[in-house]
Amino acid sequence: MLRKFLLTTAGVLVALASTATAATFGIRVPIGGEATDLAIDQPRGVLYIADFTASRIDRMNLATFQLLAPIQVDPNPVSMSLSPDRRWLLVAHYDNPTAGAGTRNHLTLIDLVFGNAKKFYQLQDPPLAVAFGADNQALVVTTKEFLLYSPASNTASLLDTVADLSAKTLPAPDGSYPLDITTASVSRSGDDMTVFGVGGLSNTITFRYDVASHKVNPGEIVLSTGTLGPRVVSLNQDGSRVMVGWIMLERGKGTTNFVPQSTNQFSVGTSLFDDSRGLIYAQIPAKIKEPPVLQILAQDNLTVIERLKLPENTTGKSIFNPQSSVMYSISESGVLVLPVGYLNSMPRLRTSSPSILFRGNFCDSSVISRTLTITDPGGLSTAFSFKPVTPGVTVSPSSGVAPATVTVTIDPSAFSAIHGTQGVDLGLSSSNAINLIEPVKALVNHAEPNQRGTIVEVPGTLVDILADPARDRYYVVRQDNNTVQVFDAANNTLLRTLRTNNVPTSLAISFDRRFLYIGHDASQTLAIYNLDDFTRQPDVSTDAGNGNVVRSLAVASNRIIATSRDYKNQGHILFIDPVTLAATQPDAVGVWKNSIAPGSVATASADGSQAMVATPDGFTFLYDASVGDVSVSRKDFTALSGSYGASPGIFSVDTHLLNGSLVPFLDLDSSGGQSSGLVFAAGAVRTGAQDSLSPGTASRVNFSTGGSILPTAIVEAPLLSDSNGIMGKFIRSLVVLPFHNSFVSLSVSGLTLLAANYDAPLPQPTISSVTSAADGASGAASGGLISISGSNLSTSTVAASVTPLPTILGNSCATVNGKPISLLLVSPSLINAQLDGLTAGPSVMTIRTPQNKSPDFNFTVAATAPAVFLNGQSGTETNLPNIVRDFNGLQVTASNPIHHGDSLTIFAAGLGLTSPVVAAGVVTPSNPPAVAVVQPTVELNGVKLSVTFAGLAPGQIGVYQITVAVPTYVPLGLSVPLTIKQSGQSQTINVRVVN
Amino acid sequence: MRLYRVFGVCAMGLLALAPSAMAQKWEFGGGLGGSFYLSRDVKNGSTAASAKLKTDIASSVWLGNNAHGKWGGEVRYDYQRGDFSLERGSTSASFGGETHAIHYDILWHATPRGSKVRPFLAAGAGIKVYRGTGREAAVQPLSQYALLTKGQELKALLSLGAGVKWQVAPSLQVRLEVHDYITPFPKEIVAPNVGSNVSGILQNIVPLVGIVYTF
Repeated sequence: MLRKFLLTTAGVLVALASTATAATFGIRVPIGGEATDLAIDQPRGVLYIADFTASRIDRMNLATFQLLAPIQVDPNPVSMSLSPDRRWLLVAHYDNPTAGAGTRNHLTLIDLVFGNAKKFYQLQDPPLAVAFGADNQALVVTTKEFLLYSPASNTASLLDTVADLSAKTLPAPDGSYPLDITTASVSRSGDDMTVFGVGGLSNTITFRYDVASHKVNPGEIVLSTGTLGPRVVSLNQDGSRVMVGWIMLERGKGTTNFVPQSTNQFSVGTSLFDDSRGLIYAQIPAKIKEPPVLQILAQDNLTVIERLKLPENTTGKSIFNPQSSVMYSISESGVLVLPVGYLNSMPRLRTSSPSILFRGNFCDSSVISRTLTITDPGGLSTAFSFKPVTPGVTVSPSSGVAPATVTVTIDPSAFSAIHGTQGVDLGLSSSNAINLIEPVKALVNHAEPNQRGTIVEVPGTLVDILADPARDRYYVVRQDNNTVQVFDAANNTLLRTLRTNNVPTSLAISFDRRFLYIGHDASQTLAIYNLDDFTRQPDVSTDAGNGNVVRSLAVASNRIIATSRDYKNQGHILFIDPVTLAATQPDAVGVWKNSIAPGSVATASADGSQAMVATPDGFTFLYDASVGDVSVSRKDFTALSGSYGASPGIFSVDTHLLNGSLVPFLDLDSSGGQSSGLVFAAGAVRTGAQDSLSPGTASRVNFSTGGSILPTAIVEAPLLSDSNGIMGKFIRSLVVLPFHNSFVSLSVSGLTLLAANYDAPLPQPTISSVTSAADGASGAASGGLISISGSNLSTSTVAASVTPLPTILGNSCATVNGKPISLLLVSPSLINAQLDGLTAGPSVMTIRTPQNKSPDFNFTVAATAPAVFLNGQSGTETNLPNIVRDFNGLQVTASNPIHHGDSLTIFAAGLGLTSPVVAAGVVTPSNPPAVAVVQPTVELNGVKLSVTFAGLAPGQIGVYQITVAVPTYVPLGLSVPLTIKQSGQSQTINVRVVN
Repeated sequence: MRLYRVFGVCAMGLLALAPSAMAQKWEFGGGLGGSFYLSRDVKNGSTAASAKLKTDIASSVWLGNNAHGKWGGEVRYDYQRGDFSLERGSTSASFGGETHAIHYDILWHATPRGSKVRPFLAAGAGIKVYRGTGREAAVQPLSQYALLTKGQELKALLSLGAGVKWQVAPSLQVRLEVHDYITPFPKEIVAPNVGSNVSGILQNIVPLVGIVYTF
């Protein structure tokens, strides 16, 4: 036994090596035929493979995965089962000719102990499956009967009959797999005490065979269509849970969870319970021809834990070795060997987070970096590479091996056109990881300061939110991992995570405020939690006899109203008794047929007196608690979507307000884009957005006009409905927190928190002029120092104390053509800054403070605009030209006039580009000198002075100096015009000249 | 530079007169005294600051003759130190300065030549150079009235004087005199600022004591 195990392990290791090379999970063992069933005989080191089309039982060595000499059998071995005592291998042969009865429908019993001796047992009808129970007797399922076969006596007795297990006739259409022909499958539980089966061509029949009692019972699913694929059954150890196709059943509970979006192909896919790990391995394609993927699912709610790339499709049953370390699956080539117990020895990649939020700042053009950790769950050195497709996003290092921490860097300027949040796929891939790597997104938010709200980053797919009226908490449905996240409303921290069933959709709190109800789209249940201690209560079935799943819940005072979708994708209103929690789907609601469009939603007023149901095709229904039924049904709209809400005597849906009889009385302003959330709080507050990239808008409702009061941009778009998604056309994304009167909105990056006074007006900066900082009058020039005058330009007065100059000072900033500029000083009425050397021509300036954003200010930036600094002082005189006599190093004034023969240094702004270029905000180096590309001329009363240097002043930022020599023949005077000319621009100031 | 040239031309012209007097009784003397300026108002609107050169030492050398009975004449060079100043109330500004003057005065004596004591009256004309020699500063008090500036300025000079010569030895005289030197106000050295103005003359009273060698 030990030897066999060791050999098997060795084989697995070989498989691992193969897997690592191919970057898919598992190895395939081609058999040259179509496998229909598997049986493992570990003591003999053999896997038996029923080869339907090759008339043999292939034998695979468990250690080497090599095929051994097969056992030749009669044609069409469709099913096979190994007796628990490993003596008997029972094979069923399928013969279902188009014309006439089959003559070769029979069983072959192979005695593995005595030289594979065979016995035969003739069957009246085509056999579909055989399965031994723990009693070493086999259930034989034919198209019409359930038989109990005893290998010892080679006899069979009738257990029951079945009417609808029809199967396809032979010859079958080209390309058919065995499961396309038989459409049936059975499997037994790990304890061999339960056999469960599925079959049916034009419908779906399931049955459960109890080995102990030899009873065949209905299998809890009967579908009027035959579409339930893959046609594979698997059971857990005790048979209490069964995976039938994409549906998971629990004994006594019916359908509990299912995998959504199945293609229903009979012959593609598999499933297998792994009780030792609480998992299910399954391939259940969501799309035809999709690359084969083995999903690792949580047994309790089918949450996808991991997805592994398969080398080919599985096409039927899977079985485990006794150690549950290696899974064998029927596949397109024959058998896939999947060593699930050795996953930690195979390269996989995981990231520390599915998304990283970057909050850009229009005031700061510097790049933003955050780190991301990449690991291999097994601790291997697995290769990875990043390839973001969006400009402005880089990852460093872009490739390497796990474990690693990479730095994701965002250039905010690449996203300056975005005022909401944009998701950028970082393009993570691996050449040798076997798992499907979940996309990692950089969420880049580039909100303006006047966009209100604070983002709380919450990864995942959030679909519903509900505030607790009795506790200072709110609840958020995270659909991608089947949880409800409980947040502390006082500080917006995550308190607890509650597991749900598969694909939770909606929340409601019981009328006594004690319980949280959770509806699901892929589970016919309500999950229920006690909100006082978070204990989970027994699930409540929402099946209501029709396979209903819940889209939306509303709690009235005497009934829970649910909108649902049945197994035929028909929508209904369900009534759930608040005491017994029994769900019913009445034939009629009030006097109307209980048939609504799927994706409908329900909402109830806080007093529980009324509840509204709104449908995407424009119907509304009113449940009146005093009546105990629906009392109003209206069709006022052709379609409805977006937000919905309720308050006593008033309802909202989409952009409409309805009265207590659901009569529309006010249409709301729709200029804010798609509606996302609406809550009745101090009137009504609603959110919306043009699209997910836009900033959202929050506004209060004007109940007189329907208009928006103080529409206020918020930091990112609230969640918008996705008519193609699970949640459909309606969305509930906004709650008011009763203990704070503030608001929480589901939004692109998670949550957006809005203060109760989110729309309070805040001072708006206003620009009145942009001039040269030299004289406050001349125009702006490329690379020049400028003065921005206006009001509310900053909330404080701060001067830059570091170089290079910052682009944010006192939390204020200025952008020109969307690009932040370097700041020297900010104050409420004046900002001194330096333009970028590349800025030229008509330009737009915007000032942003922590509170608000200025209207755009248009101005023109000249290539050059020479202007002498008028910042000199002489006694009480100010704003004197900053010209220095080199003779005494003093500023030229009337009392220190220019003399014949003097050398002067004129300090100016706006001389334009230099060579070499000196970046804005940077101290000018002394070497090499930065010389003005366009040299200015300087004249004193028309006499040209010799310019010995014109360029940026070393040690200064943005200040130019012009050094000139004064000849001896310059006219004298107390006020002699000194003119600087450059590229058609000129400035004249008056100076005193003496001899 | 230009002013020095003018000054030199004048001195040479005056010396050219000397040959005609060489046959007469000559005097060569020098004296020291004080320089006292009468201030002028530099007005700016309704306010004014007083401008002048501060009191300081005056010196003079001269060459004279007495060839025409009670009449005589002499050519003089005067050097005075004295800072230019502006004052208004307790505020003042000053700027280093000096003056150079050369002029020819005609003397009328009250007593004939050979008298032991000879009171006299003098009147003449010449030129005076005002020089600002101080250190210019960007900030100057009272600059709204006038600007004290480094430079030099040539002005016409009217000289009036009176004194007494006392022959204390055959070839030695002691001389006491007082002069009033009058020039236009030196507006380039003490330059009224924009909006200010100063008009009129600048009077310089110079009493001095001299020793004269006669021959």
